[in-house]
Amino acid sequence: MKRGKKGFLDMPFSWLFAIIAGIVIISLAIYISSKIINTGDTKINAQTGKEIGILLNPLETGVESSKSVSFTLPVETRIYSKCNKDGAFGKQIIQIEQKSFNKWTETDIDVSFSNKYIFSEEYIEGKEFFVFSKPFIFPFKVADLIYLTSADKKYCFIDAPEDIKDEISSVGQKNLFAENCLDIDGYVRVCFSNDLNCDIDVDYNLKKVTKNHITVYFQEDALMYAAIFGDSEVYECQVKRLMQRVSNLALVYKDKTDIIHPVGCDSNINLVGLSTSAKVISSSSNLKSLEHVINDIKNENDMLMCRLW
Amino acid sequence: MVRTNKKGQLKLQQMIFMIVAVTLLFSIVGLFFVSLALSGIKEDAIMLEEKNAMLLVTKLANSPEFSCGDSFGGTRINCLDLDKAMALKENIAKYSNFWGVSTIEIRKIYPAERETICENSNYPDCNVLKLFSKEQNGFSISNFVALCRKESNNGQIYDKCELGKIIVSYEKKK
Repeated sequence: MKRGKKGFLDMPFSWLFAIIAGIVIISLAIYISSKIINTGDTKINAQTGKEIGILLNPLETGVESSKSVSFTLPVETRIYSKCNKDGAFGKQIIQIEQKSFNKWTETDIDVSFSNKYIFSEEYIEGKEFFVFSKPFIFPFKVADLIYLTSADKKYCFIDAPEDIKDEISSVGQKNLFAENCLDIDGYVRVCFSNDLNCDIDVDYNLKKVTKNHITVYFQEDALMYAAIFGDSEVYECQVKRLMQRVSNLALVYKDKTDIIHPVGCDSNINLVGLSTSAKVISSSSNLKSLEHVINDIKNENDMLMCRLW
Repeated sequence: MVRTNKKGQLKLQQMIFMIVAVTLLFSIVGLFFVSLALSGIKEDAIMLEEKNAMLLVTKLANSPEFSCGDSFGGTRINCLDLDKAMALKENIAKYSNFWGVSTIEIRKIYPAERETICENSNYPDCNVLKLFSKEQNGFSISNFVALCRKESNNGQIYDKCELGKIIVSYEKKK
């Protein structure tokens, strides 16, 4: 073969070099810009998560159920509610995914709050979301539980007790119905009586909620709503977190008894016992074991000359 | 042996220099945008913390760790149980990151007295209760609250409520 013969491309080396270098530079530019866009998306997701958490601050109320509030996001959004029970109080984690160019932006940025308890499905999707809260009293106020639902999902409460019906009406949330929703398709059916055609079964007497074949247990209506609106796994974790807070609050009240003792306020409530019992609760099925203790402590506090709470 | 073309070599060198220059230019422009975006993140984080502080301080007195509950006859809004807050001070180590603020301070503002920090030894003859030992820095936001506690006079127990402020402060992000 003869050396120096021109190849079929008939292209000088400088051209070939320029093309290869050009491709490398353009690919690099595309890669970097996509990374920057990705960072921007992640930033927006993290910021939205934090803002949602902050906007939930005013839901920390007195003793009554708050009115429902709604918030609307500019784009289709998925809100993931997760829970971590590590540490003294555990953490509520919010993760956000938003639609960008018709694709869900994936993020691993967790926005966490130690003082919040949000109950929602594993993730909820939409642009408009509804929130209402209810205090969890066990036997003192422990926290305001926050129920977060998408406006796209409607709940029908069938055969609910009168006080639950009244509460749902007074909350005034547009996607919660306690009447005239029996025959409407597409609603999540929450049944308080044994009905075969139900998505969520509530046994108000035995204080249990069955959803997707998983049964969780509750004490107080606040936890019943939590079991209805929340993901079962997250619910169990939040119950553990709430019991951690009960345990710590019980110790605060114990120290308060020592502080008000010199004034002449005496009490013999076994708050250390409550703290210890609440700390070891590992699942909602153990809540029942605290029922009598809680009722006794509540009655004892009501009888005190200086109520502790 | 293939003869080297000096003109071609020069052109190649020119092109390499050009490519290096273009790459540098892209990198500098990229770095500029990244730093711009990062400074935005910091500003947004500060703005969010300010917003959190503002919303938190208005509701903090109603949270279970501070609220009066039914201890002082009926449910009261923005009523802070000073005896409970003092008890909370004993247990504050667990609450260090609970509210996401760096300090919480409760200050009696009426009647005006010389500043005395509340300790177990001098309570209730004091007017400033610092829940975290850190010094206030960054920015702080306050809200007026009723500070209630149990008091006795000749063996008669009564509720004493005074005007106070709850102040939360944040460290500025560096």
